[in-house]
Amino acid sequence: MAADYVSPFDERVRAPEPLAPRPASVSGRRVALLDIRKNRGAEFLDRIETLLQAAGATTARTAKEIFSKPAALALIDDIAGRADLVVEALAD
Amino acid sequence: MTQSQPSAPGAPRRAPALSVRGPGPGEVALGALTAGGGALLLFVSEECPTSAMALRRLGPLCQAWQDAGLTATAVFEDPLEVAVRVARRLGWAGRVASEDPPYETSRAYQLVSVPTAVLVDRAGTIAGTVTGWDHQAVVALIGQAEALLGAGLAVPEAAGPLLKPGCSSKAAIDPELAAAISAPAGPDGIEEMFERGWTDGLPVVPPTPERVEAMLGGLDGSVSLGLVPPDMGEATLERVAACAVLAGCRPAYFPVVVAACQAALDPAFNLHGQAVTTQPAGQLVVVNGPVRDAIGLNSGMGALGPGFRANLTIGRALRLLVTLTGGAMPGRLDRATQGQMGKVGFCIAEDEEVSPWEPLHVERGFQPGQSVVTVIGSDAPLSISDHRSRTPEDLAWVLAWAAASAWSTNWWPLEEPSVFVICPEHAEMFRAAGWAKQRLRQFMFEAVHKPAAELRRGETTPFVHAADPAAQVPKWASPEAIVLIVAGGEAGRYSAVLGPCTGMGSQIVSREVGRRGR
Repeated sequence: MAADYVSPFDERVRAPEPLAPRPASVSGRRVALLDIRKNRGAEFLDRIETLLQAAGATTARTAKEIFSKPAALALIDDIAGRADLVVEALAD
Repeated sequence: MTQSQPSAPGAPRRAPALSVRGPGPGEVALGALTAGGGALLLFVSEECPTSAMALRRLGPLCQAWQDAGLTATAVFEDPLEVAVRVARRLGWAGRVASEDPPYETSRAYQLVSVPTAVLVDRAGTIAGTVTGWDHQAVVALIGQAEALLGAGLAVPEAAGPLLKPGCSSKAAIDPELAAAISAPAGPDGIEEMFERGWTDGLPVVPPTPERVEAMLGGLDGSVSLGLVPPDMGEATLERVAACAVLAGCRPAYFPVVVAACQAALDPAFNLHGQAVTTQPAGQLVVVNGPVRDAIGLNSGMGALGPGFRANLTIGRALRLLVTLTGGAMPGRLDRATQGQMGKVGFCIAEDEEVSPWEPLHVERGFQPGQSVVTVIGSDAPLSISDHRSRTPEDLAWVLAWAAASAWSTNWWPLEEPSVFVICPEHAEMFRAAGWAKQRLRQFMFEAVHKPAAELRRGETTPFVHAADPAAQVPKWASPEAIVLIVAGGEAGRYSAVLGPCTGMGSQIVSREVGRRGR
């Protein structure tokens, strides 16, 4: 029998969040473009935005406070309320 | 060898009852597992690579199986803590159970090796087994489960190796030998801590209930200091105490450890970014006030180095909290490209008695008699030798320019703080000249400027790109980004600077020792 120790871990097992269903098409969808404020991320989003609009999507730009912190819940709620899809850009 | 029996021939065999433990309250009963239509038992052990492979490949499918009525449970021939940790690390989304020596459940299922997958139907009959990893047989077994449930089930991708023998089940080993293998490796269990992964790579003190209770000193272990990023494990005082024991702290240090954790968990410190960044970000812990002497913190000779238990273990306790409770294991969620030794733990004390200036905590609004812990996100120290300056201006210039390459040679200005640890002989020169701390800080700030044109090479800042080429750019965004602390031995003119971690928006945070609340 293993010795009894006090664990430093939070042993709660959390079920992984399932992925959202993938759309067959972006045409007619509202797409939020989330800039995490990493260097040159906006340039990447500019190109994505052009492609999405050409494919019939409507786009809206938004941004995190800073790349090194998780997105604020208010921002996530805002995106969820006004977009069907979101593209998050990482660059450097 | 791998043996597969997806369709059990002959008379159906009744699945033996389970004698295992799960992480939740209550017993793990086979009837409950098969209630949805069927159960898949995957017998595994931590040290078996084939078990790990099976957990990785089947783990992501478990949630969908559960939705379709098939409950998958990984039954570990290991302690429950090990089972939970390994399952989480390998992405096993099904249930977890653990059996102790002499592994009665494995024996009852006549296991020879692990992994062994056993499919049990709603009536409690074994519908098939697969021993070792045999992709084709696993797919066939899942097909049998589909027939039981009348529903489609996802199968793992056909990635190589398609066949891989398992490892010996502990139930197949002589019981006395199995018990010996599972027992703590030494009288103090140090090797067992390595086996569990409860370490930063150095030996740790096993956190027995008695040691943790002594560390808590009567405090309520269920009180939470908050969630520790990046994995958001909850920092109950009991877990903080377990980390302090692991780090080698004496109970007398615990109030300082708690204050350091409270400070580091303040959102303004952005521990989340520091814990996962590719930068070598460490968490510098600075202690001020009477508690320094009370617990034997060294602020004198070798103040940034080895030799003093309080310094080394307090900083380590905070780092173990981040690494274990917070899940920032190097190479996993901690993505530091190179890291630095300060990430093992870095706690220093200011020599307030030798310093000519107000100490750090007083600058930050506390009273001199208060004991205060301050945390600063920082890089490794760079030593600055100056044995020749004869004026405070020369010395201040040398100290300031030593930091000109902090973070990166042409990354100007730095928004985040650079920490200068001034040695007593250097401090004495400023005292003799009557330089206040703010005068030194202002001088250093003004000393380090360059024209923007000279900074446009390699990595630089948007500020430099936008500036007129002739414009003078400072190394720091303001004098306040220069933090001055006094510590070190009385002989030798070596000060040090710790560069910042940048892009974190990390603020310096202080907490009074012994004060509850965040």
